[in-house]
Parts: sequence; structure tokens; C-alpha cells
Amino acid sequence: MTTHAMKLVTIVCEAYAKAAVTKLLRDVGAHGYTLFTVEGEGSRGRRDADIPEFTNIQIEVIVPLEVAKVMLTRLEHEFFSCYGMVAFTADVQVLRANKF
Amino acid sequence: MEILDAIRANLLSPAVLFFALGLIAALVKSDLKFPEPLYVGLTIYLLIAIGFKGGVAVSQAGLAEVWLPALAAMALGALIPLWTYPLLRYGGKLSAVDSAAIAAHYGSVSAVTFIAATNYLKAINQPFESYSTAFLAVMESPAILIGVILGKLATKQAGEGSVASLKQAMHEAIFGRSIFLLVGALVVGALCGDAGMKKVEPFFVTPFQGVLALFLLEMGIVAGRRLGDLRKVGPFLLAFGIIVPLINGALGVYLGKLTGLELGGATLLGVLSASASYIAAPAAIRISLPDANPTLYLTSSLAITFPFNITLGIPIYLELARKLYSSP
Repeated sequence: MTTHAMKLVTIVCEAYAKAAVTKLLRDVGAHGYTLFTVEGEGSRGRRDADIPEFTNIQIEVIVPLEVAKVMLTRLEHEFFSCYGMVAFTADVQVLRANKF
Repeated sequence: MEILDAIRANLLSPAVLFFALGLIAALVKSDLKFPEPLYVGLTIYLLIAIGFKGGVAVSQAGLAEVWLPALAAMALGALIPLWTYPLLRYGGKLSAVDSAAIAAHYGSVSAVTFIAATNYLKAINQPFESYSTAFLAVMESPAILIGVILGKLATKQAGEGSVASLKQAMHEAIFGRSIFLLVGALVVGALCGDAGMKKVEPFFVTPFQGVLALFLLEMGIVAGRRLGDLRKVGPFLLAFGIIVPLINGALGVYLGKLTGLELGGATLLGVLSASASYIAAPAAIRISLPDANPTLYLTSSLAITFPFNITLGIPIYLELARKLYSSP
């Protein structure tokens, strides 16, 4: 078994940012992502996920280090000021590097 | 006092009482909660039921009778943001983009407020034109478009990016779930006519009151959770959320009479003008004017104007219509 070092980028943001964020992921070269609905609380108050207006989503995407850098820089400049959002990275080991 | 009787009749309907129950559930922090798919499911049911019924009514009345008041409804939807924007911008000293976002919400309409109003008219045996649902359908989008344009102009975001996001907003305003379902069901209803109605009546008409009560219970919880945000929006928006619907409601009733509607239909046009969107508009505005503060527009439309309209507003617009129609 051979594993390859990659970056897991996790983005938690309001559901309305979905179209813009997934477009950004494609633009910077991510090959896919996983998305689910979540609720929680943060600096912009509670997000109960009871109606779509107050729902958060969590997007997880695994990409090479260079892609992760570009992605996070663009998130910081284009999204953080207007959308409720947090983003962070972690080191992961994957099989089949060509999938990412 | 006629108006007090009218208000009492509205407050004691199951739908409004369940709304109050939902508000209380949120205030006492009960763990009562609807899962989001149920909320979405109930919305789909209500929109299809009301759209279908309206479509059948349009097929019976004929387009010749519907087009003029429908055009007036559309014009109202487009004009309301144009007068509320300067009020918000210069009266309320709000930022340009926030003013545009709120103006779009008040020009656009709330389907549930409309449904609650038809329910109320039925309960007090006040006849109304069932094809009024068509007005609901045509009023939802124009205000969103005007609001987004105002916001873009004010923030001087010209260029390619703004055209793309205007396109996105239009897509959301025309093909977003609420307007798409409503218009779709209207067309289906108009094509099916009365024969089709007989087939779906046991599902879309008989249980309607119960489903509406269930939905308003959920809306009570949702609105109740935002009551804490009232402190953040300030006294101007609080007053705005009540006074502006009264003015728009009066405009709607008046225009309804001018375009030949009966008393019931004019009341409904008043209700539509007075209502503020909280499904179609937030989705379109969040995407096209992301700099606008959602707390301001969601709180004013959802936690101020919506509860005001379904409790006091609807009977007030009916009384306005009665006064107007009884004067020579």
C-alpha cells in the first residue's frame, strides 16, 4: 500500500455561499468534494439549520498543497468579509494520488 | 368597533393560534423543532395547493379578466423598492447595499401571508377572486430585480462580475423553488381546469387548513428564535417593518379597486403589497448582494412584518378595503 501526502481543507459556511464556494473549488483545480448540512454557533450567532436561511454547510475537499494554498488565499480575500465562514486545513494521507 | 371584531376573528383562527404557540415554544426555549426537510415539504405542499387552485380559477375567469390587475400587481412590486429605498437610505441612514436589500424584500411578497389572508377571508365568508394567486406569482420577482440593480448601482460595482451576479439573482428570482413551484402549479391548474381539480381535491383542498396550521407552528418557532435580533436592528427598522406595510397595503387595496377587483381581491392585493418576502428574496439577495447584512433584512421581514401581517395586518387591510368600497 502506497500513500501520498495531501491537504484536507474543511470549509464551514452558510448554505447560501454554496454555489460560490463550489465554483471556487472547481476554478482552483479541486477534482471533487463532500458536502453536508450542519448546525452550530459562532461569531455571527446560532445557526439552527431549521430553515435554509439559517443553515450551515460543511465542505470537505482533499487537494495537493499548492492548490490548498491558492484556495485558502482566495477564500480569505473574496469570502471572509461577506459570508459567515471558517476554513482550516489538515494533513492527510491518501491512496490513489491521481484522484485528487 | 368593526376593526376590533375583524382582528378578533383573525386571532382566534387555528392557523394564527398555532403561530402564537410556535412563538411561545421559542420564547420558553422548548426543544420543539421541525426537521428542515419537513419545513421544505410543507412549503412545497402549500405552494402547489395554492398555485393549482389559482390556476383553475384563472382558467375559469379567463385571461381577459386577470391581466389588468396582474399588471398592476407587477408594477406595485417594482415600484415599492423605488420608494422604500430612499426612505431606508436617507431616513434610516442605512448603507446603500442594506437599503437596497431591504427594499427588495418589501417589494417582493410572502406566499404564506397571502395564504393566511385567503384563509381568513374564507373563514369570515368574504368572497374573493381565487385567481389572485396569479398576482402572488407575478409580484415575487420584479422587486428582487429592482433591488439588486439598486444595490449594484449604489455600490458602483460595474463590470462583468456584476452582470454575472445579476444573472444569478435573476435565475434565483425566477427559478428559485418557491416561484418555480407556484408558477408551475398555476400553469398545471390552468391546463387541468375544474375536471383536474376534482381529482386532486381530497389531497390539496381538504387537508389544507391542517397543513397551514402545522406550517405556521413552525414559522412561529422560526420567527420566535429571531426575536432576540430585534435589539440589533434598532428602532427605525422596527417602525419601518410595521408602518411601511400599512402604507403599501393601502396602496394595494386602492390599486385593486382601480383595476376592477372586487372587495376580496383588492384586500388580497393589499396583503401582497404589504407583505415582505423571506424565501425567494433572501436567497437571491444573499447571492447577488453578499455585502448586505442578512440580520437586517431577515429580522425585519421575518420577525417584524410577517407576525404583524398575519395577526393585525390582514384584518386591517380588509377594513381599509371595506371603507374604500363603501364610499361612493
